[in-house]
Amino acid sequence: MDAEAQDGFRGFVESRSSALLKTAVLLSGGDRHAAEDLLQNALIKAAGRWQRIDEPEAYVRQILYRQQISRWRLKWPRREVSVADLPEPAGDPDASAAAELRLLMRGALARLTPRQRTVLVLRYFEDLPEADVARILGCSVGTVRSTTHRSLARLRALAPELRALDPGAATARPAPSRDFSPMEVR
Amino acid sequence: MNVEELVRQSLREQAGEQPPVDTGFADRVLAVRRRRRTRRIASVAAATAAVVGIAVAVPLLDRGEGDARPAVGLGTDGVQAHPDQSPPRDVIGAGQTVLAAHYTSALRVRSEKRGTVERTYWLLDARTGMYKKDTRWSFVAVAPGLRTAAVLERGLPAHRIGLLDLASGRVERWIQVQHGVGGLAFSHDGSRLVATTYGEDPDLRTKEKMQGPDGPVWQWNSAYGRSSRSGFYVLDVAHGTGSWSAVPSDRTINARQDFAFSRAGDRVYAQYVGGRDGLQQFYSLDGAKTAAPADEKHLRSDVPARLSPDGRLAALGLSREVDGDPGRSYSSILDPRTGKEITKVRGADLLAWADDKRLIAWERVTGLDETYRPRLVLVTLGSDKVVPLSGVREPDEDILRQKWVPVFARR
Repeated sequence: MDAEAQDGFRGFVESRSSALLKTAVLLSGGDRHAAEDLLQNALIKAAGRWQRIDEPEAYVRQILYRQQISRWRLKWPRREVSVADLPEPAGDPDASAAAELRLLMRGALARLTPRQRTVLVLRYFEDLPEADVARILGCSVGTVRSTTHRSLARLRALAPELRALDPGAATARPAPSRDFSPMEVR
Repeated sequence: MNVEELVRQSLREQAGEQPPVDTGFADRVLAVRRRRRTRRIASVAAATAAVVGIAVAVPLLDRGEGDARPAVGLGTDGVQAHPDQSPPRDVIGAGQTVLAAHYTSALRVRSEKRGTVERTYWLLDARTGMYKKDTRWSFVAVAPGLRTAAVLERGLPAHRIGLLDLASGRVERWIQVQHGVGGLAFSHDGSRLVATTYGEDPDLRTKEKMQGPDGPVWQWNSAYGRSSRSGFYVLDVAHGTGSWSAVPSDRTINARQDFAFSRAGDRVYAQYVGGRDGLQQFYSLDGAKTAAPADEKHLRSDVPARLSPDGRLAALGLSREVDGDPGRSYSSILDPRTGKEITKVRGADLLAWADDKRLIAWERVTGLDETYRPRLVLVTLGSDKVVPLSGVREPDEDILRQKWVPVFARR
């Protein structure tokens, strides 16, 4: 990487890293440190190919998503993972029920698998159609659809209060409420 | 509003709360990129974040040619090395520290979906100087002096703690406990034991369906995020008396997260999981959360060596790697009071102090781009020399089947 390329890279990071970090935080289930780690790794990869990348942001985002769901993370479960506590129920009776539900949702999102969370971030934060999500993650549209469905079911299982939002799901057989977080953390 | 809409709102709200990235992030990335090679092991990868911001200058190190000693047999400085043995068969030690035992662990399947990861110990037989397999125990902690070990029988959590005479191989005394115990650790002076209590076997695994990159996969998982740890006993070894203190479990600990004593023995600590590796929470002996002692607040719970025998130096984690054949690892040595780095010493994982200037460590025999394969070595402050103590430990086949793990004790 020559000096000119380094300047270009610095400019890109300074202008786009805050936006990219938002996505990384969501992918990491709200763990800022894990998110910075994730983003740093993605940027290091991008730096290695900087002069050959046409659209740096799209490239870095793709690395973020794929890195998050990669086999590597599955293979090394002792790696540090985020630990997000489910928020305490709001003590103030006047607190907005909607805000409370969002906090509950946040806690439940943190407990999804990285793959489940990534699909939801792409579908509902990035607002991408299923076909684009499939292309980014390198899987079929059917897989995106089924993962989305299972992820939402898992959210309902993790936070039964959410079922009130979806009367159809309230009568559905509950999924096992086991935390699928990686197993051992050093 | 339906669940999808709530997901959308929650994600946007969370994204909107994030403060901007620190200035200089690009330089940090570039600096890390320059130093980093492909990491093949989790611990090295996780330690990378810690490298950022640490000065990379290594103090002048002599190459150690002058202090070369035979690496095999008993050296004049109390070094007992068997660099051809992995796992070790004959005693390994240096200075005041001895490899008192080692163990392997493997999954024992109990039913279709339940199993436990069980350890098999090899204990040092002081008469023969060899490690002898002893399958009776789930957990062993060796007291300083190498005469006594505290042991737990098969089937955790255990309701009695054995005090094993290492010379005869017989349990001299049992300490009965009401709360089931899963882990043990001696105080620095060996007079007390901290016994960590659990509601269920902390090494329990359940087979669960997980979403892998290529579809569902079945994995044996521990109860991460819902440990059954309930507290700890502090027991007087001589009298078998003591008291139990409750410590509520929370989602920040692994299924097995044993307590250990602080150096002074007036507190206990255990690792917890958070934003970086090696975090530690201290507790008073009655189970209340408390601050770290002044000389232990900069330590990491995942670096076993901790304070030097005289308490003036602190062993920290991997802080630099140099590629080569083999690669060289360096770990930080800090002033425990200030947290400032005093020097770096060879070794990827500092396990135990041999004396105030030497440590026993894992150090790699492979290049940085190759699979991490370490051996036990003796490293010396101010010297780049490493003295092999054991043969090379091959990588674990999987996390449910561990190759030998060393257990050290003071002579």
